[in-house]
Order: sequence, then structure tokens, then C-alpha cells
Amino acid sequence: MNKTKKFSLTRVIAVTWRILTQISRDKRTIAQMIFIPAIIMLIFGLVAGGAAKNLPILIDNQDIGYNIPSAQNSTSLHFGNSISSSLQSDNRVTVNVGSFNSGKIGVDNGTYYATILFPANFSKVLFLRTTGQDLNASVTIYIDGTNPTIQATVLAAIQNSIQTTFGSGGVVFDQQFAFGGVEFTGLDVSIPAVIGLVLTQIVLLISIITLVKETTSGVMSRLYATPLSAFERLLGFSLALLILGIGMTGVILFIGLVIFGAIVQGSFILLFFGAVLFALLNIFLAVFLSNFAKNELQAVQMVPLITLPSMALSGMLIPVSTFPDWVQTIAHFIPMYYANRMFEGIMLKGYGIGNLTSEFTIIAGIAILFFTLAVLTVKDRMPD
Amino acid sequence: MSLDGATLSNLSTLTNEPVIETSNLVKIYKEGAIKAVDNLNLKIGRGEIYALIGANGSGKTTTISMLTGSLFPTSGEIKVLGQQIPKKRRIVSTRIGVAPQEYALYTDLTVEQNIWFFAKLYSMQHELFLKKLDELLPILRLNERRKTTISNLSGGMKRRVSIACALVHQPEIVFFDEATVGIDPVLRAFFWDYFRTLSKTGLTIVLTSHVMDEAERANRIGLMRAGKLVEEGTPQEIKQRNSATSIEQVFIKLSSGTVADE
Repeated sequence: MNKTKKFSLTRVIAVTWRILTQISRDKRTIAQMIFIPAIIMLIFGLVAGGAAKNLPILIDNQDIGYNIPSAQNSTSLHFGNSISSSLQSDNRVTVNVGSFNSGKIGVDNGTYYATILFPANFSKVLFLRTTGQDLNASVTIYIDGTNPTIQATVLAAIQNSIQTTFGSGGVVFDQQFAFGGVEFTGLDVSIPAVIGLVLTQIVLLISIITLVKETTSGVMSRLYATPLSAFERLLGFSLALLILGIGMTGVILFIGLVIFGAIVQGSFILLFFGAVLFALLNIFLAVFLSNFAKNELQAVQMVPLITLPSMALSGMLIPVSTFPDWVQTIAHFIPMYYANRMFEGIMLKGYGIGNLTSEFTIIAGIAILFFTLAVLTVKDRMPD
Repeated sequence: MSLDGATLSNLSTLTNEPVIETSNLVKIYKEGAIKAVDNLNLKIGRGEIYALIGANGSGKTTTISMLTGSLFPTSGEIKVLGQQIPKKRRIVSTRIGVAPQEYALYTDLTVEQNIWFFAKLYSMQHELFLKKLDELLPILRLNERRKTTISNLSGGMKRRVSIACALVHQPEIVFFDEATVGIDPVLRAFFWDYFRTLSKTGLTIVLTSHVMDEAERANRIGLMRAGKLVEEGTPQEIKQRNSATSIEQVFIKLSSGTVADE
């Protein structure tokens, strides 16, 4: 008889092959893998978005002000300051002060949603207009247009401040869009986050059910007495689920990009790779969680416990920067937060791997953490 | 201890060196703190057909689970094929086969796929697997059912697939936990012929049963009650000692009033 090796790839692949065969015979599960993503994406794609506040912006106020020359009571005008202070009291935005160029860099790397430049002659031009001269005061705004809700909120805040300062008219916006100036529809913008949600939902659901089906089938009483180690079993499962995960990622991206026509500004290969990496994170989470589910019902109940808080905290519905500080801290522990940044970065902002190193690293790190926890908690014998 | 005499006389019936040995084996489950197995001393020789009988909850399945290394004992020692269990269970696992009480099969796979999967876990060569499959399936009357999904089989058929999965890798010891339940008497008689043929080639068979006529076909019987071995010997010896005409009489006499929950 063959000697028992401590680790055998044959056994791992036998497990992988067996699970894939089982799933291929399960028409209902295959249908779920296609229809759940389609339905969720359609619904969320249409309704995602929401009221935004505390959006960080940067103001570069170069306005030197204007002293009205002929006046008896020498009045000094400073519209740049007035608008800035008005914006500061507007809770839709959080105002930072700095140079326009540093603001633009900030918008590009996601620190700010917009940066505003008031020119040196801003007050002067506005005053001269009142004397009948045909001049326009120009405000330069460099804005992140990847989210129409946020864009509209920031612009509305600026408009309001200008209006409260000196009524309507006279100020021209020189709007410049970040990220290539592509204008996005609501669907384009919500799809990256929806991809993250759908991947979490479907991969967790299928993985956790597949795993728990095994541990509750009674087959473990035989498996425990075979050379198959718990580690090999988990690895075999993870491999099978990874293959399924790649398939599910393909379906989701197909629905998002081909059927809904979402825009991908960056590399499709990177998007696919990132999506598979995030799928793997969820597979390992499922492997870990399945160690604690006594039956399929418990397993299924675990899925919304993960997806609902992830939806709320990942910034999918409302930007994370608008949360209270302590909630923002929690958000940084939500894997979907990094997935959303990754998907939005690649799809809307055209980021390459260079801009997303930390997101990729963190997602990979969490995936490894979950697998380690799974290996540490897996049962390799009957309960004592 | 009353068992000593029996144990001594049984030693002479061992065809060969012991392949299973337990000493003072105890299992107390954490949940409920039940003493499922209480100071069990077993010695089973190579090529023996050994039947563990007893009422529900008498500790038969717990004993089998500990012998296969699937369940860790609370105290006591187990040696299977000369190796410490559970410490060396992975090494021993290639040389033993198990047909658990539940079918323990993948119900959404076919007969062949199930046997293939377990053969793979034992790193069996594919040619050898095919050869073994051609040998096992006709004997177990499953040849026509090769491509049938387990969920479409009757209870008795599932039982036979379970036996096939336990035998495919040519183990030296096989454990059948209630493995012939649900199999009709004609086929069961046929199985026993097959078991005897296998045991002559050196295969040790340890089985549990409620069916007393089945137990009588074993070389030796161990009767368990509340986790203890209360009687052990060849069917003949046991009947004589208890002045009974059948094992069933002995069983009723010795396990009366001990029927616990399943």
C-alpha cells in the first residue's frame, strides 16, 4: 500500500474535482450564480446614491480684495473671504485651505472631491461689474465628477455661498473635471460598488452552503478516518470555490460591462484580477465561517450579517468621509471598503496598480488572515 | 474480574498477532458528561471477524469511532496495526476502511464517482481502482447501478455502496457500523460468504450489529452494556456460559433494562 504523505496534492485535487462535479449537477445553484448577480445589480444600479455631507474640498483664495477708491467711507470688499466663510459654515462640505495645485493632486488621489481657486482680482472684477463694465469674475473649480451626487452637492454648496454673498449672476465657473472629464451616468457610478456587493453576496452564499453541506451530510464520519487532512480538505474546497469564483466574477463583469454598459477607464485585466482577489477573500471568509455553522440554515443566516453592514459601512451608499469619525474607523476594517475603492479606482478613475497598491495589499492580507483563521479553527475529528 | 478467563480463552482463537488493542479505554462526552465507553479492553487478531453487539447507546459506535481515530478518547490507550491511535491515525488510515452507521456518501454523485473519490483519497492508481471496481460492484450487486446517483438508490443499495467505499483501497482492517442493516437476508448471507473469503486473506472485520443471527456468524462476539464489555467470546462459548440456546437470549438477558436513547 502507498505510504501516507503528510500533504498530497492528489487528495486536494480529488476534493476539488468532486465539489465541481457536485455543483455541475446542481442546476439550482448554477441558476443562482447567474440570476442573483443580475437582479442585485439591476436594483442597486438604479437606486444607489444618497445625501452627502462633510465632503472634503480645498480652497485656494488668492483674492487680494478691493478698496472702493472714490468712496467717502472707504469700503473694502473681500468676496473671496466671504464665500470661503460661507462654505465653512455649510455642512455639506468640509473646507481645507491650500494651493490650487496641491488641491488638484488631492482630487486626483481621492483626498478632496473638489478644489476651488479664487483669482487675485476676484473682488475687483465683481465690483467693476456693478459700475457697468462687462466683465465676468471667474472661479476655477477642479472637481471629481465620478459621482454625480457628490459633484452636484459640492457645486450646490458653492453656488449657495456665492448667492448668499452677493445675489445671483456675475460669477462664471470654470469647471474642470478630474479623471479625464468623462461624464458618468448614475449606473456607471454605482456599478463598481455593486460589483463589490454582488461578489460578496454570491460568493459567500455559494461557498458557505457548499462547505456546510459537506460537514452536515454525515460524510465526515468517513472522511475523518481517511488520510485526507483538514488542511487538504480546506485547500481542495478553496480551489474548487476559486474556480467557481472566477466564473461568478466573469458573469458579474459581463452583466455590468456588457449588459449595463458600465465604463471601465482603467485596465480590464486589472479589474478582473482585483475582482477575483476579492472573491477569494470572501471564499476564505466562508471557509472560516463554515467552521461555526451547525447547519445550512445557520450558514445562510451568516451571509446578510456580513453583506448588510458591509453595504452600509463600505461607502457604497454614502461616502465614508461623511461618517462620524469613529464610524469611519470601523469602515476601515470592512473589506468591501477597499474593494469599492479598488473597483471605483479602476473603472471610474482609470487607476493602475500603482495607485491601488495599498488596496490590493490590504485585500490580499485580509484574505490570508481569513484562511489562516479557517485552518486554525477547522475540525479534524468528531466533536468531543 | 470475570472477563479474565474469557479473555485468556479467546487469545487462543486469535489466528495471528493482535491488530487492534485497547487498554482501559474511556470516553466521556463533554456534552452531558456521559461515560459512553467505560474501561474497555479489546484485543482483536488479524483475520478475525469480530462483532460488537449491544443495545442502542451501549457505546458501540463510540468505540468504532475511537478505533478509527475519528474520535479522541478521554483516557486509555489504543493500538491499531501496532501504531498509537489517535497519534498516528493518518499513517494507519490508509490501511483501514470504514462504513459508518450513516451512509456517509455524496448523495448528488453517482455510485462510481463516490467510490472513485474515496479511492483517490487513498492515492490509488487509476488502473488498480478500475480493477477493484470491477471486482467489487458485481459482488455487491451494484454493477447495473454504476452511473446511478446515490439519492436515487434504496437504503440497502446505499449501504452496499458504503461497503464498497470502505473496501476499495484493500484495507487490512475494515469497520462496519451497522453496515448490513437494510440489506435483505439473501444478500446478507451472500455478503457473509464474501466477508469470510476476505478474512481468510487476512482482512480483519470489526462490525456492530443489532441482528443476532448476524452476530452468530462472527468468529468472536463482544457484548457491550453501558460502555462496558460485559461478555466476550466465540458464539459457542457465550451460549454455553450463559446456558442459552441463542445469542439473542444472551443479548436479552445481559442488556435488559439498559436500552438508552439512540
